Parts: sequence; C-alpha cells; structure tokens
Amino acid sequence: MNIQDNYQKNKKNIFFSENNDVKSHREKLIDIFENDKFDKKNNESIKNINLKNFLDFKYRYLAPEETSLISNNNDNNYSIVSVNGQCSSFKDDKIEITKILEEDYNDFSENNTIEKNEHFVNLNSLFLNCGFKIVIKKNNNIKIKISNIVTDDDLTIFQKNNFICEEGSSLNLIEEYENKNNSTSNILNVIKLEKNSQLNHFLIQDNSPSHNLIVTSHSSCKKDSTYTQKVYNFSEGYVRNFHFSELIEINSEVDLQGIFFLKDNNTSNNKTFVKHLAENCKSNQVYKGILNDRSKATYFSNTHVDQVAQKTEGYQLSKGILLSDNASFFSKPELKIYADDVKCSHGSTIGPIDENAIFYLRSRGMSKIAATKILISSFINEELNSISDDQMAEIIQKKLVRYLSKVK
Amino acid sequence: MFLEIKDLSVKIENKNILKSLNLNINKGEVHAIMGPNGSGKSTLANVLAGKEDYEILNGKINFKDNDLFDLNIEERAQEGMFLAFQYPVEIPGVNITPFLHSAINSKRKRMNEDEIDNLSFAKLLKSRASDLGINIDMLKRSVNTGFSGGEKKRYEILQMSILNPDLAILDETDSGLDIDALKIVTDGVNKLKTKNNSFLIITHYQKLLDYIKPDYVHVMVNGSIVKSGGSEIAAEIEKDGFQKFQ
Amino acid sequence: MNSETLNTLDTYSKNKYKYGFVTEIDNDKPQKGLNEDTIKFISLKKNEPEWMLEWRLKAFSKWKKMKDPKWSNLSFPKIDYQDIYYYSAPKGFDKKPKDLSEVDPKLIETYNKLGIPLEEQKVLAGVAVDVVFDSVSVATTYKGELEKLGIIFCSIGEAIQKHADLIKKYLGSVIPPGDHSFSALNSAVFTDGSFVYIPEGVKCPMELSTYFRINAENTGQFERTLIIADKGSYVSYLEGCTAPKRDDNQLHAANVELIALEDAEIKYSTVQNWYPGDEDGKGGIYNFVTKRGLCAGKNSKISWTQVETGSAITWKYPSCILKGDNSIGEFYSVAITNNFQQADTGTKMTHIGKNTKSKIISKGISLGKSQNTYRGEVSFLRKAEKARNYTQCDSLLVGNQCGAHTVPYIESKNNTAVIEHEASTSKINEDQLYYCRQRGLSHEEAVSLIVNGFCKQVLQELPMEFAVEAQKLVSISLEGSVG
Ligand SMILES: Nc1ncnc2c1ncn2[C@@H]1O[C@H](COP(=O)(O)OP(=O)(O)O)[C@@H](O)[C@H]1O
Ligand SMILES: [Mg+2]
Repeated sequence: MNIQDNYQKNKKNIFFSENNDVKSHREKLIDIFENDKFDKKNNESIKNINLKNFLDFKYRYLAPEETSLISNNNDNNYSIVSVNGQCSSFKDDKIEITKILEEDYNDFSENNTIEKNEHFVNLNSLFLNCGFKIVIKKNNNIKIKISNIVTDDDLTIFQKNNFICEEGSSLNLIEEYENKNNSTSNILNVIKLEKNSQLNHFLIQDNSPSHNLIVTSHSSCKKDSTYTQKVYNFSEGYVRNFHFSELIEINSEVDLQGIFFLKDNNTSNNKTFVKHLAENCKSNQVYKGILNDRSKATYFSNTHVDQVAQKTEGYQLSKGILLSDNASFFSKPELKIYADDVKCSHGSTIGPIDENAIFYLRSRGMSKIAATKILISSFINEELNSISDDQMAEIIQKKLVRYLSKVK
Repeated sequence: MFLEIKDLSVKIENKNILKSLNLNINKGEVHAIMGPNGSGKSTLANVLAGKEDYEILNGKINFKDNDLFDLNIEERAQEGMFLAFQYPVEIPGVNITPFLHSAINSKRKRMNEDEIDNLSFAKLLKSRASDLGINIDMLKRSVNTGFSGGEKKRYEILQMSILNPDLAILDETDSGLDIDALKIVTDGVNKLKTKNNSFLIITHYQKLLDYIKPDYVHVMVNGSIVKSGGSEIAAEIEKDGFQKFQ
Repeated sequence: MNSETLNTLDTYSKNKYKYGFVTEIDNDKPQKGLNEDTIKFISLKKNEPEWMLEWRLKAFSKWKKMKDPKWSNLSFPKIDYQDIYYYSAPKGFDKKPKDLSEVDPKLIETYNKLGIPLEEQKVLAGVAVDVVFDSVSVATTYKGELEKLGIIFCSIGEAIQKHADLIKKYLGSVIPPGDHSFSALNSAVFTDGSFVYIPEGVKCPMELSTYFRINAENTGQFERTLIIADKGSYVSYLEGCTAPKRDDNQLHAANVELIALEDAEIKYSTVQNWYPGDEDGKGGIYNFVTKRGLCAGKNSKISWTQVETGSAITWKYPSCILKGDNSIGEFYSVAITNNFQQADTGTKMTHIGKNTKSKIISKGISLGKSQNTYRGEVSFLRKAEKARNYTQCDSLLVGNQCGAHTVPYIESKNNTAVIEHEASTSKINEDQLYYCRQRGLSHEEAVSLIVNGFCKQVLQELPMEFAVEAQKLVSISLEGSVG
C-alpha cells in the first residue's frame, strides 16, 4: 500500500492526527514522498536498500496489552521494558517518564535542519504511533536499561523518544533491541544535553533476519556536555543506524562509535554526522565493520564545521574487513569545513584480514580459522576493552563468539 | 646599551611566567642563563624573538636603540637577532638551501646590502656546513624534517653562522648533543664570536659552559633572575643544583 | 625556492593578472547558438569527412536529451548555450602556415608575452609545441623529428583527415559521447585539440606540449585531446593554459582521452591558470573538463598531475580505468582557490583488473572567500584481486571565510584488495610561520614558502619546465590574502 493510502486509512491509529500543525506538516511530508524520484544516484542514503519494502508496506500497530514495566532496581538503576514502543509514565525525584507529547513532535519538525531528506525520519514523523520521553533531573547520576520488545509479526512500529539530560546530570543508557518476529521498527531518538551533562549511550542490536530495525538519533549538546554513543550491531536482519549530532555550545563533545558484524545476505547502512556550531568542541566518529558471505554495508561520516566553530577538533575513522569475495563495503568520510582554525582528519581502510598476520600465527601452530578469529577479535579489541560495565562486556563477548562460530 | 630588558612581566593563558625580569647585555659579551625546567627561560627567548602568543604585562626592551616591541618577528631577525630554538619545527617540503638563501637576502635587503647570488651562497653554505660536520647531502633535505635531535641543533648553528647575527640566543642548544657534537657546535659559536656581537646562552647544565666561556652567569628561577655573577655560579649549580636559589 | 623565484614572484605580484591582455585578431565565426547548422558549419570549416559529421550530430542529439550534472558544491548562474559562439578561428588560418614566419606576428607577440616564444622554445626546452590559439592549431614544431620515430603529434582536425582508422577506433572509446552532458556537448562541437599516437615500443624523446588560450569574447572552448600509447611505448604530455582578462564568463568544456596499451605509460601534466575572475568574483572561466584514461593493457600506467590555480569554477576529475592486470593509475593534484573561486576536483580510480594499483595525492589550499572541494572515488570491482589504493588528501585553510571540503567515495567488492585513505584539514602551522619569520622572512614569503612545501609532493611530479612555473603560480595565487 502506498504512503498516502496508508496514512489516510490509519490516521486514527497515528499520534496527533487531530493537531493542525502536525497535520499540515504531514501533508508536506506526503508531498515529498509523492514527488521524490528516489534517485539512488543523487540520494546516497538510500544506497543498497530495497526501498520498495519500506515505502510500500502494510501499516499495522497494536497497543500492548500489559503496560510496560519500569523497575527501580536500586536507587540509581532503572530497568524499562518497552513493549511495542510504549512505556508507562513514571516519576520520582531523579527522573520523569511520560508519553511523547505533541509539542515534542512540533519542536522536532520545526527545528530539524540536518535530516531534511531522510526518508526514514519522514516516515517516522508521518506514521508515529508510540514513544516516550525521559527527563533526567538536574545533577543526578543514574543508569537506565531499556529493552525494546515487539510482540507480534507484521507490526510497523514508528517510535519517537525524547531523552533530556538536565544541567549537571549524568546518564548511562543501555538500549537492547532483540526481536525475533517479522516486523519493522523505525525509531527516532531525540536527545538533548543541557549544560555540563553527560550521556553514555549504548545500543545493542541483535535481531533475527526477519526483523528490520531503523534507528535514527538526533542529539544536541550545550556547553560543557558530552554525548557518547556506542552501537554494537550483531543483527541478522536489516539495520540502519543514522546518527546526527549538533554541538551547539562551546566546549561540548560528541563521540559516535559503532561496530557491526554482518553475514549471509544481510545489509547494514550507517551514517554519522556531526555539525560543529560553536567554538572549542570536539568530535569523534569511528565505525568498524566485519563483512562475511554476501553481506553489504555502507558508512557515511561527515564532519561539518561552521564558520564560527573555531578551534574545532574532528576525527573520523572507518575500517572494514571483508571476509568473503562476495561481501562489499562502501564508505564516504566527508569533511565540510568553513572555519580556519581547525584540526580535522579522517582515515579509512577496507581490506582483508592481514595475510602476514595470519601467516605469523599459523607459523606458531595455529589453524587458519583460529588465526582469523583471533585477528577479528583484535580488530575490535579497543572497542571491547573500553566497555566498563562488566555485565555488558560479557553480553557483547557472547555475541561476538556466536558470530565467530559462523566464520569458516 | 645593546640589549636592555627592564622590569619585564609576561603572561600566557592566565599564567604569569616572567616576573619583573631585568637583564642587560653589552656588545661583545657572552651571557648564560641557567635555571630549572619550567622557570621561563624559553619564554624569555621567545618574547625577545617576538612570538605572538604572549601578553606583555609590563616592562621595556631596548635592542640596538630600538624599542623592541615596535618591531615584528622578521624585523627583529633582520636587525640581527637570532634564536636557535629549543625545539626546531619541521617544515616538510621546504628545502633547506633556498630557505636559508631567502633568509640571508631579506636581512641584506634591510641592511641595504646587495643580495648574495646563487653561486656564492652555495659556496658559503657548503664551507660552513663542512666546518660544522654537516653532510652535504643533508642540505638537500627539507627544513628539520626527519632530522635527529642532534641534527636539528647542528642545523640551527649552521643557520646562525650563515646569518651572522648581532645577538644570538641559544635555547638549550646543548641538550641532545653527544660530546663530539657539542664540541663542534661550541667551536662554531666561538669562531663566530667577535667584539661586536653578543650571545645569550640558555642551558640547565654546566657542561656547555666548559666550552663557551661566559662573561656573566644568571640564575633564573620562577620567572625572575635571582642571582647574577661570573662563571663561579655555574660551578655552584653543578655542585648543589638549583635548590638553594629557590 | 631560490631568490630568483622570489624575485620573479615579486614582479608577478605587481602585475596582478599578468596574462590578462587581449590580442586583437579578426575572428571568423558562425552565429551564436547551438543547433545542427552550427555543427554542420564547424564540420564544413574543418573539412571533415561525412562520418565525422554524423558522429557529431549523434552526440548532439544525445546532448539535447541530457541535463547538466548536479552540482553539489558549486553555484553559478545557469549556462545559456544559445549565447555562445562555437567556432572561432583566426582569419587566414583555414590553411595552416608552413612555418612560423607565416604566422600572424600579433600571435607570436602574444606568446612572447606569455613567456613562450616559439622560436626560442624549439632550441631551449626541446619541447614540441602544438599551439592552439582559440580553436585552430596554428603551428606545430618538431614534427620532423617525431615523424622519424613514427610518432604522430598533430591537431585532432588533421588526425581526423589523415588517421581516420585511429580516430574511428579510439575517439569516444574512453569517454563515450553520452557519458554526461559536457562530454556530449564537446563531442558535438569540439573544434580542435591535439592528437598523439606513439607506436609500439617507442619512448617519446621529448615532452609534448600544448598551450591553450581562450581569446575571442563569448567563445566557448571545446578542445578534444586523444593520446594513444601503443604497446611498450612512453609519452609525457604537458598542457598549460592562460587566458586573457575578460568580464564575461567563458565556458570551457574540454575532453581528454588517454589510452595506454600493454606495458605503455602516459604521463599527463597540467598547469591551469586561467583567468579566475576579479576580487569581487566578477568574470572568469568556467572550466568543466572531462579527463579520463584507460589502462587497457597489462602493466600499463597512466599518471595525471595537475596544478589548478585558475578559473572561476573548476569541475574536473581526471580518472583512470584500470582494466589491464597490474596496471597503475596515479593522480597528483594541487588546487588553490582564492577570492570567489570554486573548485570541485579530484579523481576516480576504477580497479577492474587483477593486481591493479592506484595512488592519489591531493593538496587543496583555500583562501579568500573561495570554496575548495576534493571529490574522489576509488572502487574495487569484484575481479580486482589484490588491488591496492593509497589516498592522501590534505587541505590548508588560509583565512576564515573560505571552505575546504573533502568528499571521498570508497568502495570495495573484493576481499583481497586493500584501500587506505587519509585526509586532514587544518590551518597553516603557526610554529612554522614563526620559525621562518625568526629567520627574517616576511609573513607573505613565509606563507608562500610553507604552502609550496605543502605542495611539494605534487609539484615534484611535474616535468622540470613546469615545476618552476608551477611554484611561481602557487605563490601568485596566495597573493593579497595573507598578512
Ligand atoms: N603556550 C603555553 N601555554 C601555557 N603555558 C605555557 C606555554 N608555554 C610555556 N608555558 C609554561 O610556562 C612555564 C615556563 O616555560 P618555559 O619558558 O618553556 O620554561 P623553560 O624553558 O625554563 O623550561 C612553564 O610552566 C610552562 O608550562
Ligand atoms: Mg625551555
């Protein structure tokens, strides 16, 4: 079913359909879809995917029967099980959780400047059917774990979450996506870091081949704040990680990292984009991927330095290892620089596992396959070692072992 | 007076580094400044050379009847001030020979002297290089690029001998040199010394002063000169360290 | 840089755009505008065989259906193709002069002003020059010596008449007329350019060279160059250009095709310093060039070197298709933009054959209000076993109103191939400036020296004759925007 029909038919089921501002915004979006030629040559962000599946789909959403679970394990530890993108409201002196609000929708659609041509963001805005907002109150230091669960086959989840870290707060956020059913989740996280706040965001993605996951994030950092995002993608289904960040006030920092492990026919599209809009900020964008079998990946990175953003330091790195002759990797590390007092650089490599290293290990009596596995692990060693949470490190390690067991 | 530093106070990034520093140097004199790491010796050298990052809070410097602060970096150099850097920067792709050739000619131009042509310059450079034990092949390389620590220091001295300055400031030129190199370098300095030029030698070892005899030794601690005297001070420092001056 | 260079630099900076003069020569040109009649006129003027006219018309019909490429980082008013003259030849040159004495003295004078006196050049540089003045090839020197070796070096017009077999076989074989709108346009209306054929096993003993100038007002320049290096041969080709000062923007859309057969090597160097427009961004050349080389045979090599300092807009990606096993592609580039110039330049390395290697060194310098983009694509196709690429692109910013952009596209479909890419952007190093000035160099000299050093890796790839001129150009281009 096409976009227009889907929307008209399911309006009742979609958030904020009654609101006039929202309505007019969505009409514009429908226009965009109707007029876009989806020219892959000129819109690289749709390279390597079968768009038809995403544009011509059957909309279906089910509100969860049980309210989603929030548990406060101890004082500073929260666990949330979000079912079909929903989360019940909660409030204490440290955090507040509510449903996503109309004003949040409008705030995003008005102020969104960097994802204008992102079809998946537009789809999310158009069909929005769930989502929540979490506010971390001033000067609190907490940890939240969110498990994102989809209950049924054929569901199309369009979820928008807001995370707001108030001044001086610090949040460790772990999000898990582990779905086995034949459904599609399109999630947009809007993240705001107020002055001197800190967010360490981990995304662990491990879906079955039938589940499509589209995660987009848009973070903005105010003075002295730091946003760190680490994506671990072990999914066997399609995953799209598009992460945008704006450094809007001085001395802020953003670090966007990802590792992905692909096999079979799987595809993964990745993008990070950092816009430096203030002086003295730092950014880091590092993605590493391992591609086996007939898998395909793309990674776009972009450092944009505005004219006012003097004393910027921006770094990008992309590394891909191709394990099979049918795998392919495309990367486009871009620098757009309009200020002069900057230090920006990027590096990019794509290649096989180092033959010399394999030879060396084999000469020490190791089998070729064992050598390969060791070298894959060492390729992402830095990323694994930097996980300070033991429990999480163990989870990631297990998933890595599972992936390696399939490497022949 | 040839160089007169009066009541100099200098700040960088909210940190006061030089504090009411006084120093006078006459023509033909060799002065040594000794002091522990971080006492501000390089800062003084850089302020004299005109590096732009510093904030001059107070003080006056007179050099050859000029108010030094009226001159920019290259004008000071053309007036005969030379700084042998503690850490000479690498400039990839810029060949040593034409670099120095341009440098000497810009000085000559200011002094209303004729420029030196390619051929005579090449001759001069070669002979000075061999005096300093510098391999001719090195002159084909880029400025300081890929040089060892010792090579960098030797190349600084080579430049000094070509530019023939009125005031040469040597910032820890001895560090990183083995004993043979130290001898060659100090020989170079001694050869250059005349009644009409002066040297300001910065070091924190006494060793260098065994080869270059200073007329005065100053002890610098925490941004000011705390003691001045003859070469006996160097011996004192060698024996007891800087402790007692602090 | 020696003092002589610095001296010259001085005179150059006083001259502003030294090459900005206009030679007054009557032009014999058709009406403005582009249609089948224009093309027929050109073909007739050039005495072309019927098949060539058909080839042109076919390209024209393709062009009519095409849109100009999408410009990502360039902005300029839409080009009015009907407001351009497509043919202009100095009068009386329909038939070529037999020697230099037959050439219009004014023309000779022009070249003298440019510092390339033909008479002297023959003796001094040992360069055979195929001079293109506007669109007609006026004089070719050194022909005899080359002929002895079986080397063909002539205007493309002459080649169409005398070497139809080679033209039919190779023209458009690397850049098909339908590739994009500018290649279609060029194929339809090209008026002149050079043709080179190096026979099997021959190493061309001298640098072949062409100087291009755009002269007549409102004349688009559509050169077509075709170079074929047969098995085991070698040739080094130089292209340099300067254009007179003009207020109207002038369009240039050249096509250059290179073909290297087995074991052959082609080295193609360009120094481009066309009129870039004035300090306010008025005037200047629009330079939309398609350059592509095919390493057709095993062990062949194509190397592009360019120094781009001119033009209001430069849109140019000299590329290599590495088809033959073990073939090598190289791209060395310096692009300097000042005032309101826009450059979008880079390369494309397509690895098809086994063991193919490519190397990209790009140095971009942005000054004033200019925008300088490196855009490069490296791709390893499925069969490109053990292929290698190394890319390094560095940008330098001088001033805070300009932009420096790096847009690499990197794709691998082969798991034995290795791509390595590095890039950096920064402003000029303050410590280096301080060091140079402490030795007595002025700020401007210091900047010029450091920038030349920054470009050295590329400049040293140029043949001697060009290297000196290129250094001067680098310094001239920096003028006025430092200090
Ligand atoms: N650019 C700078 N920014 C901040 N502090 C500096 C800078 N340069 C020097 N300093 C500080 O100034 C002090 C004096 O340094 P310096 O003059 O290099 O000492 P010395 O040469 O005697 O070892 C040190 O504490 C050093 O850390
Ligand atoms: Mg020091």
